[in-house]
Amino acid sequence: MSETILKIQDISLAYEECPVVTNLSLDVKRGELLCIVGESGSGKSTLLRAVCGDELVKVTAGSIIYEACDIVGMKEAERQKLKGTRIGYIQQNPYGAFNPLRTIEAQFRETLKSHGKTFRRTDLREIFGILELNNSDEILKSRPYELSGGMNQRIAIAASFILRPELLLCDEITSALDVTTAAAVMEELFKLKSENGTTIVLVTHNIGQASNIADRIAIMYQGKIVEFGESEKVLMHPEHEYTKKLLRDVPRL
Amino acid sequence: MKKRISRKKVIKIKLVIMVVLALSVVFLTLFAGVIAKNDPYQTCATSIRTAPCVDYPFGTDNLGRCIFARVLYGGRTTIAATFALVFISFAIGTVIGMVCGYFGGIIDRILMRLADITLGFPQMVVAIAVAGILGGGIKSAMIALGITMWVSFARLARSHTFSIRSAAFVQTARFAGKNDAYIIMVHVFPNLLAPVLTNALTQIGTTMIGLSGLSFLGLGVIPPAAEWGSMISEARAYIQIAPWAVIYPSVATIITIIIFNYLGDVIMDYREVR
Amino acid sequence: MEHILKGINLNKTFGTKDQNIQALKDVDFYLDEGELLGIAGESGSGKSTLLNVISGLIRPDSGELFYREQEYTGKDPAHTGRFLQMIFQDAKSSFDPRFTMECSLLESRRKKTDRDALCGILKEVGLDEKLLKRKASELSGGQCQRMSIARALYSEADILLCDEITSALDVSSQAQVVEILKKLNVERKLSAIFVSHDIALLSTLCTRIMVMKDGQVVEQGLTTDVIGTPGNEYTKLLIESARKQSL
Repeated sequence: MSETILKIQDISLAYEECPVVTNLSLDVKRGELLCIVGESGSGKSTLLRAVCGDELVKVTAGSIIYEACDIVGMKEAERQKLKGTRIGYIQQNPYGAFNPLRTIEAQFRETLKSHGKTFRRTDLREIFGILELNNSDEILKSRPYELSGGMNQRIAIAASFILRPELLLCDEITSALDVTTAAAVMEELFKLKSENGTTIVLVTHNIGQASNIADRIAIMYQGKIVEFGESEKVLMHPEHEYTKKLLRDVPRL
Repeated sequence: MKKRISRKKVIKIKLVIMVVLALSVVFLTLFAGVIAKNDPYQTCATSIRTAPCVDYPFGTDNLGRCIFARVLYGGRTTIAATFALVFISFAIGTVIGMVCGYFGGIIDRILMRLADITLGFPQMVVAIAVAGILGGGIKSAMIALGITMWVSFARLARSHTFSIRSAAFVQTARFAGKNDAYIIMVHVFPNLLAPVLTNALTQIGTTMIGLSGLSFLGLGVIPPAAEWGSMISEARAYIQIAPWAVIYPSVATIITIIIFNYLGDVIMDYREVR
Repeated sequence: MEHILKGINLNKTFGTKDQNIQALKDVDFYLDEGELLGIAGESGSGKSTLLNVISGLIRPDSGELFYREQEYTGKDPAHTGRFLQMIFQDAKSSFDPRFTMECSLLESRRKKTDRDALCGILKEVGLDEKLLKRKASELSGGQCQRMSIARALYSEADILLCDEITSALDVSSQAQVVEILKKLNVERKLSAIFVSHDIALLSTLCTRIMVMKDGQVVEQGLTTDVIGTPGNEYTKLLIESARKQSL
């Protein structure tokens, strides 16, 4: 549990020449669910995209070390190989991950092929089962535009997961979904973590959402991590003013 | 990152260059009278098919007319007719597009089917047929090309109107008691102007090809009026004796079309990166 | 007590030739003066359709709508805009991208321009007057949404209809907007209908909640009753899901 899978050291990131993240350090332990909480513009999504090697995000200083390799200095081909097979990434827009006009099955085949794996229906059914996508045959035949946002998001999770990544990065994956669907997706994510030992980094603006599933929580504010620690500690004994404000602002039932 | 910024700069520089080039073409033809010493219609029996020299920088044609002057004056016809045609198509097409997009319903269906039918025919074939029926003259050539040209403007304006119409700020204007005419004039039109105008710029090149083409076929301007297409067509007969009579108007056509086509492309790129 | 807004038996069906979707089925509602009514439901529940019908943007197939006992069924926004204003989810697109805030705000008012009133309202929603010179693209989502509220107030509407107005904002901006609405409700006796999928949010803001599913009202009552002792299975599911997303 204590082994570090991803280590971000003194990193500074810029987007369109303007600095977004400055001098940030963060470590992710194997098998944990880490939540990064912050409001829009805090740099939380930029940070995730830097880990994925997004070309638009420029690393101006520091290093991102994944299992003893520095991602920043890595060649494009190597990074591509890492992406998908070992690091999975799910973005905010559930429709963004797929070509809307091709069947889900074709896209799954392609994804697997490009990572040198073979498509097996049994594998897929197992993963769909975890995600409560029950009528898998019908889903495979349909096209993304025919399915709801919640369904697409779950399939996107399945697509990331079928490659069995060690690390799954999720960027605001529930903000386009209804509350009930969002709750279901969160539960499934938690299941993936506890049953398969996948390390998950979840970025969200809702500290309430984080509070229910996270092992550790990092609070990001203006490109910096202002508070970082065990979930319970951050929620119960927040030290930073901004954390306190976030906790105050969440609507409670 | 760095690549992206420099791309933006490159496009800006390109834009400036293209605007300067396009303007210089326009000014060259506009001030044809000042630049060219000779009268483009003055025939001269003693200097028929003279090769380019000091007096006649581009040589003379079959009737001894100065090709340099004719190219400049001819450019005036081509460019003025092109601009007028593009502007008229833009105006008509945008109005039709806005009406269709905003009100929808039966008007929209009729006009859009009409547009589909128009698009079903190749533009040049329709233009030749129409120009043939209407007879020669630059006006009929313009009408012939305009029949198909409004469609692209109408479609573009319609799709933009469609999205603007359902935008929250238009709904809000409705709650404020604004009528349709106000909403179209104040909210819809200014917001679709930029993309439709860009389309207009990209159409200039093709329209020039169309007009010159019709003139080449004898369906555009009526001789002796100078026009690049008709000049090429006339001089084609004695191309082996006086190649300059074909080469210079052709080169003028090619350069002008390239400049305006490229200007359209650069403006599109510019809107993208901005 | 006289209801400021009332709807009886509202029905609306959207459809093509082979498929009809009944977005509203015999929906009744009322809003009292100075009341904040919450409508909870998920996408496809008909809550946004209901709001559009109330506002006059969509004409109901059947049913009646009343404003202070006066029927206004079938009237268009040009008429309903005299007493109600709609605030939309996408704050940025609520303003013409080419307009400054000032132009947009002045446009929405039917009466003569009143600078003092405008400044007062901006103060109430916590915005600086300098922002009036800016365009929507130069404001944050939260600022835009507060500007929308200011615009509705400046148009002197009695009732605000809010369609998911905080769901595109982050928690802090959301809390700010909620605080402003609460304050306006107390100070100005503002009446509003607030539509959201987030029942937790509604519970912090509204005095009464209606829960909608598949075009029907499945439960309604005072917030404390609906949240404390939900009678409907769907309401229970909503509350439970909301709890999982909350502290």
